[in-house]
Amino acid sequence: MILRKAFFLILILLFFVIPLTALLLQSLSAPWRFHTGQGIDWGWQGYSTLFENPQLWEATFISIWIGFAVLFINVTLGLFTGKALASYPYRGKAWLEALLLSPILIPSLAIAMGLHLFMIRIGLADTFWGVLLIHLVPTVPYSIKIFHNSYQQIGKTMMEQPHILGAGFWTQVFTVELPLLKPAIRSLTFLTIVISLSQYAITALIGGGRVLTLPLVFFPFLENANTSIMAAFSIWFALIPVFMYIIIESLMMFLPYSRLPWRNHR
Amino acid sequence: MKLFKNRTFLLFLPVAIFLMIPFYGFIHAVIQSLGGEGLAHYEEILSSERFLSSVWFSVRTAGIATLVSIILGLGFTKFFHPLLTNISPRLMVWIPMLFPHFVWGYMVILMLSETGWLPQILAAAGWLETPSNFPVWTRDPEGIGIIITYVWKEVPLVILLLFPVYASIRPEYYALVDSLGGNAWHRFTTVDLPHLLPVLVETFLIIFSFTLAAYEVPALIGTTFPEMISVLGYEWFYGSSWDDRPLAFAAMVMTSLFLLGLTLMSYYGLSRPRWRAMRGDRQ
Repeated sequence: MILRKAFFLILILLFFVIPLTALLLQSLSAPWRFHTGQGIDWGWQGYSTLFENPQLWEATFISIWIGFAVLFINVTLGLFTGKALASYPYRGKAWLEALLLSPILIPSLAIAMGLHLFMIRIGLADTFWGVLLIHLVPTVPYSIKIFHNSYQQIGKTMMEQPHILGAGFWTQVFTVELPLLKPAIRSLTFLTIVISLSQYAITALIGGGRVLTLPLVFFPFLENANTSIMAAFSIWFALIPVFMYIIIESLMMFLPYSRLPWRNHR
Repeated sequence: MKLFKNRTFLLFLPVAIFLMIPFYGFIHAVIQSLGGEGLAHYEEILSSERFLSSVWFSVRTAGIATLVSIILGLGFTKFFHPLLTNISPRLMVWIPMLFPHFVWGYMVILMLSETGWLPQILAAAGWLETPSNFPVWTRDPEGIGIIITYVWKEVPLVILLLFPVYASIRPEYYALVDSLGGNAWHRFTTVDLPHLLPVLVETFLIIFSFTLAAYEVPALIGTTFPEMISVLGYEWFYGSSWDDRPLAFAAMVMTSLFLLGLTLMSYYGLSRPRWRAMRGDRQ
């Protein structure tokens, strides 16, 4: 068991922790040239050059807004559908699940290309709303899966109780379901926001380059920025989900029966 | 309970509206790939050397990346799942999931390109004469960089999906295999595999369809020839000539149909009674 633990630690350090640490160190120092015998030249140049770019801030705000909107719609859709699936006992359920999974199995590029003309026709191309809609396609199937699993774990009896006690639909959602779904909402926050931040091709296609999200700034940056700036930019990509997670976590404290850190607990 | 049934269908209403987005998009992609000229565009791409080599390259690269991710993730979860019950090791395993795919692709370039950290360190340690003696693993014609990026990014996803299954297998099953004189291989095939199979198949489909058709990573870390099908499709869509657009649609529709066929086959296979019986499903 000790051997297994040591092996585990070595693997995790080698493949996950050390690369992240190296990226962090590179973002805080000038590009490395170890083979010429130079040492590490510390400094904030990577970050300061990055933040001087006005496009970066615009793209960050737009990405965050799209991220929150995508997350909100995902939670709503996931909640309804997960609940419906968990209380749907019939045959053919596997096929229904396959149907709900299909938006991530069909290439999103194919979907975005097909929607392009339609978006132009109804005036959604090159707009925030068009990009928001297309970002739903690769995220919603995951939300449905996560919420479906959570509802199954919560169990039917837990859902029957508030019903018997006379709670209406929304009362039940806010006082029973959402507090129990907190872990699901946490994983969903990370998943949807990272997926939304990962979309270059479909954002460029539907946003037409006018809706500036972070990936649209990252790709052209690759051409002429040095490694420190790019390392800082990469770290920036990971900080956004963390930042949004903190906001979601603090919003979830307002749900009923939440532990508030400023109150005493046994 | 007719009332209850109606309410269940009301709950499905939002997702039905959502599904119209991808399905409308897909159907329109099919219509535009035909372009009122029948299957002419399909015939054109199927006789194009560039398209065929791209198909082979994509399927090969995505297939290798998916299989390696699943094997490594499965081995890791099987071997280490008792250690993953604590929250902090689990968070460390999921570090790559915090980054978008193309950012991790850039990370691979930072580390493994000819001027990257690993060649530099090896050169500084005297194992390589110069950093440029390091093998070409990024922007290479074999797709090694693409495979490394995807495997690195997807192994944590495989662990995330398999861990709950392993945590839910009751140890009594293993005891049963042991008492009947089975070895480790029997344990794996008679206990683990029936439990894991639906999740494994689904994981394979999710990762394979993503790696086959995603644009970002191959655009960043791949070469211009051979190129992944998504890169080719994107190029045809945005290329200088409008005549190429139907080709882009045809290429992406063919990829979609291939993936849908694969999905249908897998789900059909999974719903066969033999696997249901092995899982103890009584549906």
